Amino acid sequence: METTMSFAVEPLNDETVIVRIGKALDFRNAADFKTACQDQVRDGMRNFILDFSETGILDSTGLGSIFSLYRQVSPLEGQVVFAAVSRPVQVVVQLTRTYKVFRQFPSVEAAREALS
Amino acid sequence: MGEYSILVVEDEHTLRRLLEYRLGKQYSVRTAANGDEALDRVAEGIPDLIISDIMMPKMDGFALQASLQEQKNTRAVPFIFLTAKADEHSRLKGMRTGVDDYITKPFDIEQLLSRIERLLERTKIFQTQLDARIGQDFSQKLMPKNLPRVEGYRAFFHNTPREHGGGDLFDWSEAWPGNYLFTIGDVMGKGLQAKFYAFSFLSYVRGTLHAMSRATRSPAELMKRVNQLLMEDQVMEETFASLLLMRWEPSRNLITYSNAGHCRPILVTPERTEVVSESDLILGLDPNADFTDETLELPPNSALIFYTDGLLEQQLRTGEMVGEKGLIGAASSALGRPDPINSVLNSILQKSISPNFEDDILVFWLEREG
Repeated sequence: METTMSFAVEPLNDETVIVRIGKALDFRNAADFKTACQDQVRDGMRNFILDFSETGILDSTGLGSIFSLYRQVSPLEGQVVFAAVSRPVQVVVQLTRTYKVFRQFPSVEAAREALS
Repeated sequence: MGEYSILVVEDEHTLRRLLEYRLGKQYSVRTAANGDEALDRVAEGIPDLIISDIMMPKMDGFALQASLQEQKNTRAVPFIFLTAKADEHSRLKGMRTGVDDYITKPFDIEQLLSRIERLLERTKIFQTQLDARIGQDFSQKLMPKNLPRVEGYRAFFHNTPREHGGGDLFDWSEAWPGNYLFTIGDVMGKGLQAKFYAFSFLSYVRGTLHAMSRATRSPAELMKRVNQLLMEDQVMEETFASLLLMRWEPSRNLITYSNAGHCRPILVTPERTEVVSESDLILGLDPNADFTDETLELPPNSALIFYTDGLLEQQLRTGEMVGEKGLIGAASSALGRPDPINSVLNSILQKSISPNFEDDILVFWLEREG
């Protein structure tokens, strides 16, 4: 069955892209997220701004898919940053200590300025 | 759960199209006009079920079926024969070669659909049962059969894996005389795959400990090495794990641990219950990640609780998850109870939406007596 869950992707410049995470990133759509990001990396993108403003669920499979992205772009000197992190996402980030790896910005706007 | 794929092998064009159209409403259908073509389709991707005519030019249905029987990866694909007339001879021959069902033309499409459904259902049940058995086997291997017994201490362990649970793991050994090393972790992902990786990952941890135990007693140093190994390994490339390595020295009541992004332990004393907060980055992300050892002395009448995230993520009737706050509440009244873990779990379940835990539950309780 075709999965209908897709991720809105908005290029900022030729190496930076904004990905809107939506309501949930979990075991149901983590594979789609991975594919969407892989396509972007193939197109030359290496900096990813993840917009978590609407995200209520981030489970370990979802987080794993973000880690995979990180491992893909870090050899390319790329970055994965978190923007507008919601409270449920913040809990996961704190628990796994991943704020040590993913820079956080209060808004997509702030991340956009920092990365452009 | 994906859509089932069916391969229709039929030389008569009209019937082939009809089947493609009718079955296409429910299944993903591919077609072939004879056995030769069918083998090409199978080579592109193994279908969940094959419906094949018997009499066809080039390669007939029997030859196709025999050819699929010879290969291990296609032998188990359910196979339904269609044939032009009630030919008893063909029917018997078909049954002998391991055909699953047999339908005579002209046939009722509803009857065909119900047989397809039944066969697919049967295959699925078989697969699910097999997965459950393998999963259970892994789960058992990832959990301890017993616990260390030390005077002045009580140790408890509880684990309820879910069928579609993840890669929780727990292990211990007397790594150095009078010193016990505990491994508590969670490999990311769900289902059989996570369990498989958890199993491989635990071997890494054991191997690292074995290789390094003469050189160091530092959980942080062991952790650093496990992380490096995990990142260097091609097979484990997509594996991320939270891990807590803890050395327990009962004669001095000392606990030394290194925490790589795992759920933070809870310390329960008669005065207060609190989170043991020091923690470093989860494993598998950064090959140069540094880890630190933290040491604490366990006072008399106190306990340390180690666990995995299934416990924290249980939904409460208040609409919130248990979280560290909820666990602290449940743990403080469990100290000194005959079965403290049971007491913690019951106290959480009383406030839960569901009467059972929704995810894997793993808890280890280490208590120093008064």
